[in-house]
Amino acid sequence: MVRMGELAVSRSSGDVLVALGLGSCIGLVLVDRAKSIVGLAHVMLPDSSSSPNAPRMKFADHAVPELIRKTVALGTSPLHLQAFLVGGAKMFSFGGSSLDVGARNEEATLAQLEKHRIRVAGKVTAGTSGRTVRVHVDGPRVLCKEAGGQEKELQAA
Amino acid sequence: MTTYSDLELDALRELANIGSGTAATALSQMLGRSIDVSVPKAAALPLAEAVASVGEPELVVVGVVLQVFGDLPGLAVLLFTERDADRVCELLGVEPSTEFATSALQEIGNILCASYLGAIVSMVGLDLQPGPPQIACDMLGSIVESVLLANAATTDIALLLDSDIRIEGEGSAVQFMLIPSDEGVSSLLARLGLGG
Repeated sequence: MVRMGELAVSRSSGDVLVALGLGSCIGLVLVDRAKSIVGLAHVMLPDSSSSPNAPRMKFADHAVPELIRKTVALGTSPLHLQAFLVGGAKMFSFGGSSLDVGARNEEATLAQLEKHRIRVAGKVTAGTSGRTVRVHVDGPRVLCKEAGGQEKELQAA
Repeated sequence: MTTYSDLELDALRELANIGSGTAATALSQMLGRSIDVSVPKAAALPLAEAVASVGEPELVVVGVVLQVFGDLPGLAVLLFTERDADRVCELLGVEPSTEFATSALQEIGNILCASYLGAIVSMVGLDLQPGPPQIACDMLGSIVESVLLANAATTDIALLLDSDIRIEGEGSAVQFMLIPSDEGVSSLLARLGLGG
């Protein structure tokens, strides 16, 4: 279980990493298909620059590099990783501003991936629906579900 | 990182108790039913734990969210299970799962939130106004998470004032939560003669 602002990696057969009920947060999945190494981060906010005293994993600018580092530490390289993004919905609009945290989370996460030269293989983002993402080490398989819907496997594009 | 003492949490719980009691009276008048209110929970939780404390993250619920403006800025959230949302609509004479049902539930959000905040206003003399209600039917985790994000940049702790408002004889309930921002809570506690 990867809760808000947390991340996890695994290469143990049978393990499933899951982020339940993503709203405007992003579930970032990294997968090395050949070696069955997976990682999942539950990113809450785009960047930490407005809160320098909280170098926490909830921010994309910290969480993405940390997830890459931990995934690579299990014995892969950034070249062999594929990324999947789930979440980044806009469920409510607060404050009357155009501040759409979901979209900004997605943008910040993609920017970090590009910086680390990791290919984005697929995403289920934006819209207004909450989502759950499950990452099975076996396969590896990345499954996404929306409220009341069926679980669907994300295929690498 | 902000933490709250037991005494401060007790004071906030009492405030939530008065707020939800008043909100329950308003709901009782709307629905013509007796309403029970449990003793509210007041908890300051790390964000990672906050969602699970509210409920089962994948449970599909109807959430009505109102932004709170003024001296205690934050968000108010009402959560109904789908069944309870339908039942509340029936009690109001509105057909469930229609446009009318949506606006009826938003109106309940308006009334509960206004009476809850009104009670706090008259007790501590703060200036508080609710914004317009927004509604979503989705996974509990997604709704609560999106709400918590509104304060998340500045804090790692979510303060939840969580009341359970039950309609007697129906087995139906509304979960009413007030999630104030840190700054508002400090000034509120100062006004109550605590903290600061």
